[in-house]
Amino acid sequence: MYGIIAFFKRHYFTLLFLILEASSFAFVFTNNYYHEAGYFNSSNRIAGSVYSTYSGLTSYFNLKNTNDQLAEENARLLNLVSTNKDTSTHKNVLKTNPYGQEYHFILSQVIDNSTNFPNNYLTLDAGSDEGIDEGMGAVSPSGIVGIVVKVSPHYSVVMSLLHQKTLVSAMFKKSGTFGTIAWGDKMDYRFAAFSQIPMSEKVKIGDTIVTSGFSSIFPKGIMVGTVNDFTPIPEQYFYAIHVKLSTDFKNLKYVYVVSDLKKIEKDTLEINAQKSLNEKTK
Amino acid sequence: MRFLFFILLQVTIIRHLDLGIYFNPFLFVGAILMLPFRLDKSLVLIIAFATGLIIDVFYNTMGMNAAACTMMAFCRPWVLRVYSPTGDYNADASGTIGSMGIRWMIGYAGTLILIHHLILFYLEMFSFHGFFTTLLKVILSGITTLILLLITQSIFFRNSA
Repeated sequence: MYGIIAFFKRHYFTLLFLILEASSFAFVFTNNYYHEAGYFNSSNRIAGSVYSTYSGLTSYFNLKNTNDQLAEENARLLNLVSTNKDTSTHKNVLKTNPYGQEYHFILSQVIDNSTNFPNNYLTLDAGSDEGIDEGMGAVSPSGIVGIVVKVSPHYSVVMSLLHQKTLVSAMFKKSGTFGTIAWGDKMDYRFAAFSQIPMSEKVKIGDTIVTSGFSSIFPKGIMVGTVNDFTPIPEQYFYAIHVKLSTDFKNLKYVYVVSDLKKIEKDTLEINAQKSLNEKTK
Repeated sequence: MRFLFFILLQVTIIRHLDLGIYFNPFLFVGAILMLPFRLDKSLVLIIAFATGLIIDVFYNTMGMNAAACTMMAFCRPWVLRVYSPTGDYNADASGTIGSMGIRWMIGYAGTLILIHHLILFYLEMFSFHGFFTTLLKVILSGITTLILLLITQSIFFRNSA
């Protein structure tokens, strides 16, 4: 008994180190992908307010860019045939896109962003109080941005498209052939990889790629980017396509979080359909 | 005090400096390096862990900085011994250029910064995918952090303990 106590006393430092180091590793590895981007993230109030203040100061330097982007988007939207029913607050707009989907846009500002790390996150100044929840998609005037992974009352953390774990279902605008958008190959904030497109598809440089709407995260038809280059992979009968992203990740100021109104109804429908299929095949 | 300065500097200005994917300085480790030599090493360990965790909150890195800082604090006593001048340190010695000279500083800080960056960047990638690019990142960022630390010390911490 005394031997053990003496052991602990002598190696106190090393044991403390092992405990702390193990806790750190536990924090890193027990983060479950998107629910809980770790317990320590920038959606907490202190980090959020530091970033709010800082970005308030620096946003003046980007005013011209932000304004240009918004003006372009306004012009584009005015030309679309759509029903715009504005609901109560200016921050929360009900939209209908040309594919007939209905969803809400929750407007928020980016208070922290990065593009040069292997895994990039954005922090937004809107949180659960504004209706944002984990798993919602985030888009900007110039294209898709990412997926919300962590929410606090007033702030949210978005897993950027520029993140090793982000996967987005997308399709060619004109043909509808769908594949997966991922990032991490070249670690360049301007490009992403588009995979699972069979070589039977006629691909041209400059082809437009938009979201496919297959997941309940992004509405169909949100701009992703254009084909920058493509190489065939004969062994797989797929192309390896590099997409030039339309979103300007270095100049993100306004981000709209998409809360899909029909999501609960659609998911329930899919679950019920699966259930009745299982019963039929029994 | 000094810790607040390093942390704020790190999360506001340095975080948003986009020097590319290879140059990723983490100046805040300077705060830990400049802790008094005679401070109880377990206390240094706890302080390092807490500082790393605070930076993790801002960087969304989940605990990687905490892991790296703890490892760095663990190795600090050993590194101090390795670089100790003959006859051990003076009673009033502290981790600054003013007190110990620039050559000592480069060795001491360089080694500990290297340890920190090795843990941090490899944990971030967590695969052997970019083994050499990550190594390059460790070296280049480490040099950047070291240079920034030397400059910061020359400007702000000339004579402090």
